[in-house]
Amino acid sequence: MINRILRFGLIFILLFLLQVLLFNNIKFSGYVNPFVYIIFILLLPVEIPSWLLLILSFFTGLTMDLFSGTPGMHTSATVLAGFVRPYILRFISPRDGYEPGGAPSMQVYGFKWFLIYVSIIVVIHHFALFYLEVFRFTDFFRTLLRIILSSLFSISFIILLEYVRKGK
Amino acid sequence: MRNLLNFLAKYNNLIIFLVLEGIALYLLSTGNNYHNSRVVKSFRGLAAGIEKRVSNSTSYFHLREISQIQARENASLRTTIERLSGIENQVFFSVTDTIRHQQFTYSSAEVVNNTVNRQKNFFTINKGKLQGISVDMAVASGDCVAGVIVGCSNNFSVAMSLLNLDFRLSARLKSNGYFGSLSWDGSDPSHAILSEIPQHVTFGIGDTIETTGFSALFPEGVIIGTVSDFEKKGGDFYSIKVALATDFKKLRFVNVIGNLRKEEQLELEKQFQ
Repeated sequence: MINRILRFGLIFILLFLLQVLLFNNIKFSGYVNPFVYIIFILLLPVEIPSWLLLILSFFTGLTMDLFSGTPGMHTSATVLAGFVRPYILRFISPRDGYEPGGAPSMQVYGFKWFLIYVSIIVVIHHFALFYLEVFRFTDFFRTLLRIILSSLFSISFIILLEYVRKGK
Repeated sequence: MRNLLNFLAKYNNLIIFLVLEGIALYLLSTGNNYHNSRVVKSFRGLAAGIEKRVSNSTSYFHLREISQIQARENASLRTTIERLSGIENQVFFSVTDTIRHQQFTYSSAEVVNNTVNRQKNFFTINKGKLQGISVDMAVASGDCVAGVIVGCSNNFSVAMSLLNLDFRLSARLKSNGYFGSLSWDGSDPSHAILSEIPQHVTFGIGDTIETTGFSALFPEGVIIGTVSDFEKKGGDFYSIKVALATDFKKLRFVNVIGNLRKEEQLELEKQFQ
């Protein structure tokens, strides 16, 4: 248990540094802003209580907000992602259920399942995040394009990180 | 209580989500100037929209009151109009106030001597220079044409009657505005002749003839008489027989009309002749 907490703490710090130092500096014509830190929410154990998940999401978002100077923006998007995660997991549960005590990883459930899982949550998260950022419905389709492109990049990076993690 | 606890246990997930999301949105709308202003603006817009609707419907409910106020105002305005137009139309009325933009002065006088049976008739009135009468003022009986002042002493004035062969007056048909020259043919003291009305003009017996105001003597619209007969007399013009509205045989009380702007008008016109 302690071990696990330490591991997630380490993942959290790594992701956080990666996001703040690397991904926040990707300014690819203003359309691509990948937010990879969401992988922390994605990789939490399946059977984690939803209240804990929500609180962890809240603090993840809050930390991101503190370092991006956008109070509330990442927080609300991440809390939303944390809120929908159990429902998504239930919706796309594999035929023989989840392994007790396991994390939703590509290693265990396969690439296709993992891709679907990541895509749904990342798109929801980015959708909330980008619309909260512009905070109006003018330029709706421009924002939609930003969401799609950024989501593609985020998903790619998350899959890549998952491969790295698997190889480790 | 138990139900409440059950409810909380059942929806704890949702409740925590809502609370955390609420905190996040609160941070979003207070922490960022842009988001804050957007939120404030949209709330203000909403409030303004609601207020507009409310005031629209309340103004509808106040229509009765508003219409009563309007009616009262209408009545008072009508009264004012009556009073003002009463002053305008009043014949025995003299105003020497030149501050007002008034063009004509009216002063009443009494005819003391009159003839109708000559070819060149004149009548005398009991007001003269001392009463402000001067040459070339118009004389009207009631609001009908009577003559023009041609000479003044201190207390008397002599006016050339309309029944004078030398009398010329610019006159028009009230119905269509065609104007011609009015003169007396020396035969009948109750009729005069209006000439120079072109033949394409349509009019009927009984049509009113009034002054034009071109001569700067009479104000516009003073009644001369009505068409009693007309004939095509050579050329292209009608010769219209006008039944005079003024009965010169019992001419008694008249108004002397002075045009305060006559000099100005004539002087200007003289420059172009």
